Amino acid sequence: MRFTVAIGLALAGLFTATGALAHHAFSTEFDVNRPITLQGKVTKVELINPHSWIHITVTDDKGNAVEWMIEGGSPNALVRKGINKNSIPIGSELVVRGYGTRDGTNKAVGRDIQFADGRALFFEGSPPPDGGAPAQ
Amino acid sequence: MSTRTQWIFAVVAASVATLIAAPQADAQTKTKSVPKTAWGDPDIAGTYAEFTTAPLERAAELADREFYASQAEWQKYSEKRINEVNEDVETAPGTQADVHYSMGTFKLSENEGTTSLNMRTSIVTQPKNGRIPPLTPAAVARRDAAAAARKGHEFDGPENRSLTERCVVWPSTLAPILPRGYNSNLQIFQSPGYVIIQGEMGDPRMIPTDGRARPKDNLPQWNGTSIGHWEGDTFVVETAGFNHETAWRNSTENLRVTERIKRIDDKSLEYSFTVVDPDTWAEPWSGVYPLTKMDGLLFEYACTEGNYGMANILAGERKAERDAAAHKTAAPAK
Amino acid sequence: MKLITVAAALLIALPVAAGPLTQIPKAADGHPDLSGVWQALSTAHWNIEPHTSAFPVVIELGAQFAVPPGLGIVDGGTIPYLPAARAERDKRFGNRLTDDPEGKCYLGGVPRSTYMPYPFQIFQNKRDVVIVYQYATGFRRIFVDGKDEAPLNAWMGWSNAHWEGNTFVVEVTGLNGETWLDRAGNYFSDNAKVTERYTPTSPNHMRYEATIEDPTVFSRPWTIRMPLYRIVDDDYRMLEFKCEPFAEEKIYGHLRKPAPPASGGSK
Repeated sequence: MRFTVAIGLALAGLFTATGALAHHAFSTEFDVNRPITLQGKVTKVELINPHSWIHITVTDDKGNAVEWMIEGGSPNALVRKGINKNSIPIGSELVVRGYGTRDGTNKAVGRDIQFADGRALFFEGSPPPDGGAPAQ
Repeated sequence: MSTRTQWIFAVVAASVATLIAAPQADAQTKTKSVPKTAWGDPDIAGTYAEFTTAPLERAAELADREFYASQAEWQKYSEKRINEVNEDVETAPGTQADVHYSMGTFKLSENEGTTSLNMRTSIVTQPKNGRIPPLTPAAVARRDAAAAARKGHEFDGPENRSLTERCVVWPSTLAPILPRGYNSNLQIFQSPGYVIIQGEMGDPRMIPTDGRARPKDNLPQWNGTSIGHWEGDTFVVETAGFNHETAWRNSTENLRVTERIKRIDDKSLEYSFTVVDPDTWAEPWSGVYPLTKMDGLLFEYACTEGNYGMANILAGERKAERDAAAHKTAAPAK
Repeated sequence: MKLITVAAALLIALPVAAGPLTQIPKAADGHPDLSGVWQALSTAHWNIEPHTSAFPVVIELGAQFAVPPGLGIVDGGTIPYLPAARAERDKRFGNRLTDDPEGKCYLGGVPRSTYMPYPFQIFQNKRDVVIVYQYATGFRRIFVDGKDEAPLNAWMGWSNAHWEGNTFVVEVTGLNGETWLDRAGNYFSDNAKVTERYTPTSPNHMRYEATIEDPTVFSRPWTIRMPLYRIVDDDYRMLEFKCEPFAEEKIYGHLRKPAPPASGGSK
């Protein structure tokens, strides 16, 4: 019997047999007509499944502190790259671009999440602020 | 093509060149003695990635050709797939591709980790055209009836959502296991008389290998009931007794799956499967792909516990309904 | 007396053909073999402290869902809560109908999963011990001689273990503090460390002990202990108890589409 020759290779690219399946579709939870850009301080980090949620406090244009919850991906791949519960310190200033939930509450999906100084949240060459460089 | 895509191709192309030049693997595996566990079973334990470059189904124009003829052909067919998932590709804002719910937020590609290069043109090997047989008329009728019953009620309550959204099962972690978009990994443990297979987002399947017969009661289970045995160095698992609600690819509770897992070398296993359900497909179909050992661990996938998304989805629809009622306009089409 | 009858029934079901085991089974590496299906037999899942019988949390459920009495499993009888933590426990007791994670099919955590009224199966090899719990398909990988720490907190925590003679000692950290200890609101926080000790006492019995340290909730470490019983039925297999569908009304019921006024209603 002929059989596939397979070589395991750590690649930055993606190959899957079934495409990018998601736990749920974007449009069922979020509203494309509700783009948001937020800057705020981290109050709680939930690196949980099926999706991570980062809680931030944002000061609105009236000067009120408003809580927002930002959805991200499953944390399991992060764990394998050395991210741990200390990788986003409470109080960190984040900038979030994303889309709000359809229910109109202060929740959104994070399309891009960065630290306020422009560093990426976890990767793109920048170690997280606690100095714990991901094991790449 | 972006710089990053070009780089990926450079890396992949070099490996594929080696791959094409390499002799077929079966010649090597026949002569090698397989490492054994302390109690004498072939050792297949470990943590494995399911990612492979072969698509599930073959492109129609490749007809019955099981393998790409050349590196150039492999690249031609893989390019679109790489581009689809490459972070550098601009996607339309707010589309599923743009916010694909996996690793994009973290600037990771979805299968960050180990991928097997695969000169196969498809995972499906049987039928000969590498494509899943068409559903039988009865299966089409079943599928359409279910879709019709759901139409207009997609957001009524949690039961109307998919099993995945409900955190009941991820169909691709059941037998047969198929690669998914992310967290597409599994771990295998062995102990005397048992093999345990757990997909990263699935339930542990406790597979007895102690010679016991298939239970006569055939009580339906979401994951079916699996019984295993060793045929030489190959682990063979027969799974049946699925819950009718599992309905993997529109199958019925009569679905039977045979999986065969064989150690190829220190880094990989061959995973092959055959599915039979005459109520769904007129003929059995089969597939094969490699499982590749990976570094790192699987992490707890407590899905129900953190499933804020389900509440957001239902709450979003309730708001849309209230808004529609308030504005006396039609609810937005889904 | 009913409990004792059940216990006797379990033990009488020994496979006759194979003959009863008299020695504690040993694994290939010489350690006791803990493999098999086990279950606790007590009312500790209702309340780990000593308790008399009580009304069910929903009064309409009547006698068959009333809380049965039990002597408890806590060494010394009472959990050494700090005063504020005892008040929190009492508050949770009051909110148990809505807040107990068991009602939502959330993973049971450690040690609660051990004495929930469901079986669990242990698989053992030299490197790993795996426990699969029937309830919510709970899963633990226990690293024998493991030294790593939890990367993130988890419902079932992070388990490193070692052997002390015939006792399998599991140190559990990385618990997320979301789990409860029973249906009576007893709890610990995400600062807790749980040290479990599994000691075979006969072929079909184990002593289970768990010492709980959490200085933010308790004034001192404290210990629970109970026997575990092997399920000895011929051809026994642990069926799935995937409870997610049963919890959906409880978790998401308030978000259902309102039923139309005339008739019917959503599925």
